[in-house]
Amino acid sequence: MSRVVVAGSKDVISPVVEKLHELRLLHIVNYNGDQPEFELGKPIGKAREYSENLIKLRSVTRYLDMKNKAPERTYPESQVLSEMDNLLNNVGGDVTATFERITEIEAEIKSKQDQIKSLTPLSVIPLPLEAYHGYDSLATFVGTAVTPVEADVARVSPANEVFTGTAKNATYVAVFVPVEKASEVSAVLSEHGFSEMSVPKLEGSVDSAIASLKKQYEDLMLATDEYLSMQVNKSESPLRFAETENAFVIDGWVPSDQYSRLKNELESAAGGKLDVQLIADKEAEELVKGGEDVPTKMDNPSIVRPYELITRLFAIPEYKEFDPTLLIFIFFPIMYGMILGDVGYGIIILLILTLLKKRFKTEGWQQLTSLFMISGIWAVIFGILYGEMFGPLGLWNHVVGMISHHEMEMLQNAGLFFGEGTFGPLGRLGPLGIFPLYRLATNAVLLLIGVSLFVGVIHCSVGSILGIKTELNYGEKKHAYFERLPVMLFQVFFGLALLGLVMGLMTMVYISVAVIVISVVMMVMGPEGAMGLAHVPSYVSNLISYLRLLAIGLASVGLAYAANQLSFYVIMPMLSGGATNSADFSIPAIIVGIVILVSVHFINILLGILSPFMHPLRLHYVEMFTKFYSAHGGGVEYSPFGHVRRFLKA
Amino acid sequence: MVVVADAGILYGLIAVGAGLATGLAGIGAGVGEQGIGAAVVGVVAEEPGFLGKGLFLMLLPETLIIFGLAVSLILMFAWTPFSAIVTP
Repeated sequence: MSRVVVAGSKDVISPVVEKLHELRLLHIVNYNGDQPEFELGKPIGKAREYSENLIKLRSVTRYLDMKNKAPERTYPESQVLSEMDNLLNNVGGDVTATFERITEIEAEIKSKQDQIKSLTPLSVIPLPLEAYHGYDSLATFVGTAVTPVEADVARVSPANEVFTGTAKNATYVAVFVPVEKASEVSAVLSEHGFSEMSVPKLEGSVDSAIASLKKQYEDLMLATDEYLSMQVNKSESPLRFAETENAFVIDGWVPSDQYSRLKNELESAAGGKLDVQLIADKEAEELVKGGEDVPTKMDNPSIVRPYELITRLFAIPEYKEFDPTLLIFIFFPIMYGMILGDVGYGIIILLILTLLKKRFKTEGWQQLTSLFMISGIWAVIFGILYGEMFGPLGLWNHVVGMISHHEMEMLQNAGLFFGEGTFGPLGRLGPLGIFPLYRLATNAVLLLIGVSLFVGVIHCSVGSILGIKTELNYGEKKHAYFERLPVMLFQVFFGLALLGLVMGLMTMVYISVAVIVISVVMMVMGPEGAMGLAHVPSYVSNLISYLRLLAIGLASVGLAYAANQLSFYVIMPMLSGGATNSADFSIPAIIVGIVILVSVHFINILLGILSPFMHPLRLHYVEMFTKFYSAHGGGVEYSPFGHVRRFLKA
Repeated sequence: MVVVADAGILYGLIAVGAGLATGLAGIGAGVGEQGIGAAVVGVVAEEPGFLGKGLFLMLLPETLIIFGLAVSLILMFAWTPFSAIVTP
């Protein structure tokens, strides 16, 4: 990144802004107005009009419930411009009016419903509903009264008709009198605690062509939204600039290799009334020390990019920090695979992801599904190593093959039992024939404890190496060699000491312990002094934490095992009256067994998506990132002034 | 060698111990996480950008369960001193 200053005459501010927006190169540093010589800039062009139109459009799109989606077609700017008036005033007006009408009708429906509720008791008065309406010379009073009204009504209006009825502790009356007596009768009625209610005339229906309207205009509306947002952004951009009476100044960061392009393009756009200057590194560093953030542009190959999601969730790397995305791309899916490790589950997850990828085209979903896809592939690979297809006792032994019962007993007696599956005619592979590894076997658990620990040692060491590198980048040699390095030595040789103990290589143990002691001494000599020793237990617990790679996997294997065992060896024989041979199982027993089997495996797959995701995430965030990442606070993402066109044609 | 106890009972006690180790560690981690979780939800409601950091803090006590689990695994799979006592 290079720090640049763009200064020019106000005459050319519009073309310059236009060009900057098109180039999408300059990460603008907002001017905060702290220098008396410069004022904050003022919006240019028709900023107000654009904003107003945008608000109008947004209200229409909100009515139509339009969400941001993947573009189906794109529009040239000229078409958007020519159709904007029609869209905003006619279509927008229609939509707004329709929705206002719908709101009205809904309110009406609500009030009618209330009325119906209160009118239901009217059924106690022996009159049809239409008898309450449509008189010229008659006044109608319908309502409840506390005391009988007949006598008093007859007193003020000899010509009358009164109907009464009682329902739910209230007396309902319908009084018909000549119109000219209405006011007197009303007065009399009120003495009797009369409260009137209106009798509804329900009619009308809600019919709308909203759906077709939405279909017709959705993309165009979103394109217009995009166009207007772009224009607002452009016309309001001078608010971020510094201005004098006749000139403007823009501060910003630009990727160093793009500087000359920015300079040439801007100067040709402004026709010479502009100057683009590169600020020397030394001066730029002063600015950074003064609190300015150098923006970070994360630049990863497209296959790695989905994993930026995980990095971003934690923090954007600072400019001089290492972007850990590539490491996440390497370690995360392997850890996921190591935990889930089941061919059947892996394939089902891949199928679900393929469906999701086709169904949801927005960028976020695409990234998330790609992220999981790579992990799913690793789950299948580890599934092959573990010889698991829908858990132990699942399909593997039947589909691929297994060793004979006799061989299995021999291996168990010799203490070399690592599982009973085979790779078909290839038999069992690897040293001592450990693959396919049956994860619930004692030997396999012990082996996986070791493997998990060493995954931890490698993972943490990579973190420590990066920590050393980052500290050196910031010029902190003492922190690099006496804070980060001893941690790495400690963890690596802790792992080696354990390995030596297990394998009985005492020389290795002695050497490792010696290095551990040296590393502890180095920690004491480090910047934290003796306080650094307080962290030592946490370096051990860091490594033990990687046991979760085994543990979460065991939980999932255990559940799959339970599902298979329950279904094939408990439910099915039990419901078939104690039959032990699968050929003797009754049909209902098989149906019940399969239902239980499928539901437990379904739950296990759901858990198998969630926990193998969360735990490697934690291993990265807590165990690895703490070694090197964000030791100097989070960074700011490089977001150049400009816009990626989605619904608009370039 | 004196037989101190029946092998079955010893193995049963080991299993109970292993269960307690993981179970109690789980309860401990849960108690630790509940306060952090509540605080994180509060922070994220105000400032969604803190989700990652909140998650980081919330996942810290989880290691406790793994400690318990490590003890359980050692008890169940790698604990051998009894074997000398058990085998007559």
